[in-house]
Amino acid sequence: MKKLIYHIALFVCILLTGACNKEFDDYPEPAETLAGNIKDANSKNNLQSEAGDRGMRLVLEELSWSATPTPYYFFAMQDGSFRNTKIFKGKYRISVEGPFVPLLQYDGSGAITVDNRKTMDVAGNTNVDFEVEPFLNVEWIGEPVYNSTDQTVSVQVRFTRGTANTAFHANVTDVFLFVSPNTYVGNNNYDNKYSVQVNYGGTSGNDQLGQTVTLTTKDKLPASRKFFLRVGARIDYGLKYYNYTTVKTIDIP
Amino acid sequence: MKLKIFLLSIILITSHAACTDLDIPPMNVIQDKDVFNTEGGVRIYMARCYSELAMEDFRYSPTRGTNHFWIINPQPANTGEALSRDLNGATAEQFNFWERAYPLIREANYFLQTMPAYAKNFPEADVNHWLGEAHFIRAFTYMALVKRYGGVPIVKEVLNYPEESIDELKVPRSSEQAVYDFIAEDLDFAYSNMKESSERGRANKYTAAAFKSRAMLYAGSIAKYNQIQLFDGSQNRLCGIPVAKANEYFKAAYDAAGLLDGKYSLYKKTWAAGDKQAQMDNYINLFFDESSPENILVKDYKYPETVHGYDAYNVPRQLMGGNGYSAEVNPTLNFVELFDGIPKNADGTIKTLDDAGKYILYTNTLDLFADAEPRLRATVIVPGDIFKNESIEIYRGIYTGPVTGGISRLLPEGSTAPYPAANIVSSPNAQQTPYTLPDNTKKNPAGRSGVFTADGTCAVSGFSVRKYLDPERPTAEVLENRSDQTWIEMRYAEVMLNRAEAAYELYAAGQAGNYLQDAFTLINQVRERAGANLLASAAALNNINIVRNERRKELAFENKVWWDLKRWRILDREQNGTVYRTLMPFFAANANKYFFDARPDERNSRYTFDNRWYYQEIPGSEISKSQNLIQNPGY
Repeated sequence: MKKLIYHIALFVCILLTGACNKEFDDYPEPAETLAGNIKDANSKNNLQSEAGDRGMRLVLEELSWSATPTPYYFFAMQDGSFRNTKIFKGKYRISVEGPFVPLLQYDGSGAITVDNRKTMDVAGNTNVDFEVEPFLNVEWIGEPVYNSTDQTVSVQVRFTRGTANTAFHANVTDVFLFVSPNTYVGNNNYDNKYSVQVNYGGTSGNDQLGQTVTLTTKDKLPASRKFFLRVGARIDYGLKYYNYTTVKTIDIP
Repeated sequence: MKLKIFLLSIILITSHAACTDLDIPPMNVIQDKDVFNTEGGVRIYMARCYSELAMEDFRYSPTRGTNHFWIINPQPANTGEALSRDLNGATAEQFNFWERAYPLIREANYFLQTMPAYAKNFPEADVNHWLGEAHFIRAFTYMALVKRYGGVPIVKEVLNYPEESIDELKVPRSSEQAVYDFIAEDLDFAYSNMKESSERGRANKYTAAAFKSRAMLYAGSIAKYNQIQLFDGSQNRLCGIPVAKANEYFKAAYDAAGLLDGKYSLYKKTWAAGDKQAQMDNYINLFFDESSPENILVKDYKYPETVHGYDAYNVPRQLMGGNGYSAEVNPTLNFVELFDGIPKNADGTIKTLDDAGKYILYTNTLDLFADAEPRLRATVIVPGDIFKNESIEIYRGIYTGPVTGGISRLLPEGSTAPYPAANIVSSPNAQQTPYTLPDNTKKNPAGRSGVFTADGTCAVSGFSVRKYLDPERPTAEVLENRSDQTWIEMRYAEVMLNRAEAAYELYAAGQAGNYLQDAFTLINQVRERAGANLLASAAALNNINIVRNERRKELAFENKVWWDLKRWRILDREQNGTVYRTLMPFFAANANKYFFDARPDERNSRYTFDNRWYYQEIPGSEISKSQNLIQNPGY
């Protein structure tokens, strides 16, 4: 009973205080589309990444209102493409972040030395591609091989520097074969039981650059199933995100 | 009912009309003159400030923040020091510290601004001391901010609305370097204005110097090891400090620590050379002796006004109190292996197998630790150790297989698989069904404090924490919000280790001075008190890890290690898909003896530190309030 009285009182209060706001938000909802790809500047192929917040993301700064706006972020898909259909019309400075040479670089004093961000109007369907230099290129060599003796899968990969800029030639820290039962495979989504990580100390990882690296899954993979494989490698720079190969599937007989 | 609603409507209607201005100070609100005119008033003001200080003490956990009663997600389970059933992987802090810090900074600023007007009522030395204290509180709070977020807005005076416009109130972030310099400036002021001694629980000039050594050491490490960059549009480096500044900060840390020379000393009241038991007891007492000469800044608790639940959450399972909590902090084998006096393999891991690869058998589980470093025994309850006059029983199961010719490894080295069911009797929880041994006696399949296979309220790592657990508290009082032992936020051992680390860094950077010898002497003093093996010579101090590991051992379970691992920028390498190691004792039924199996955590808790966490996320709600704040990288 008491509770009811309080509720009624609260309701009356809300009515009394809230009844004098006649303005409402009459802006049109955001409807412009921004789409495109993040590509490797050398191979012109899409750069592989992982889904989610340790992958690649777009940074949008809307300059129509302020010179120093709070950035708006959205993530690219794991195949390096991006598409957002709910962007407000306006003038934007657009950048991408991820495991590649940053588009915006500073010297030690904070002065901007490199600025490859793009400023453009977003209206209707706006397409924009970014060409970036990944820290590492990670490529498959051949196809994954199923070892029926111990029910594992072996893969061969090669990683090489993706940029000639020696400022981004930090040590290679590890290479990781990610195994997952679904296509979203990467550092964000893998099965510990089968995935295998090889860590390199000091500069020993750099000796593997350009070499064929063979990785074999741990434990026995269950039969009659499909698994998704991907190899990532990274260098000791910044937030240490992985560069990836494409996703390959293997049917375990 | 109807009447009540009618009355309520009347009240609501009449109260809306009652807005006459009465221009007198409200009689029920305490005015400045009530506070700043008496020493008692100042004391009350300060008491509040101290109680709000962001100490990572008994009431802190990375998930719930400071000053929270429920600490079942203990920080040590985030660093590799321990495993816990309620924190099973690396985590960043999950609370909005920002909004807790600035109110306290405002209180310090308000004091600094208001006190001078009332200074004539007090002796000058007192006023200076209090002003120094407010500077100390402000510096402490900025330290808590900068170690989390990097550069933050520096607010030196009380800001008021509407006197200042909204735009003026949106103070942008300063550079990380500027914040550390501001902390140093505040602590220097405190050092030169405060008295030599102070009331218990409050700072004095040497406290300020001690905290300066900590802050400057952090700044030096960031300058030297950080790789993350973030600039604002005006060339302020919000994340990171130029590497060229490293030695300057290390020197400042070294000098500040030196100011405490002869003022404080290591606690050695019941220490005796060569007597391991005495050294262990001494180390335990150090955390309970109110008159310890090692304490620099403490936070007292007192039942029933200010309390915590450290004992309730952390006692070994068999001493569980009425709330049903226990054993939240279970030291890892990785941590235990840092200590001296336990049998080790060439690679530093614990030796549990003989040369033939068979388990070494022991009559009692404590035998393995017979010669262990006293500091280890005082920090960790090892299987079979005595606590509150009880033998703390920890074993994982009974091995019923054959023992002639020795027992081979239960699992291959490093295997994360569960133990095989064959030949092993174990218990899912504390309701045990005794197993009949070959000699017809009965024995529980697991120790009274674990390890159980399906109940995490036990020594999941094979160890239980001892540091800070009150050995005198009866089990009836082992309850939440019932413990009241003192938290030691700063003790002299840390100052010595700050100085040793700064000295070694300066030596490693080729700075002229007697730094290596100095670091060597300090490390050996800490080790001697701990009962650890001493460094043979200064030349033996040839690796920064010797200094760092000493710190990890000495300051373990004091919620400092996470910040150290972060400022050294090594946590992403230590926690990289890492499963920490545990030590599982088994009882071999047919031999009537125990053996130990070292293995990765059977629960498979995997730790991966996200590199972004070196600079924590600025809460989105703060950026919404002040759009000049630039978010840290990656969020």
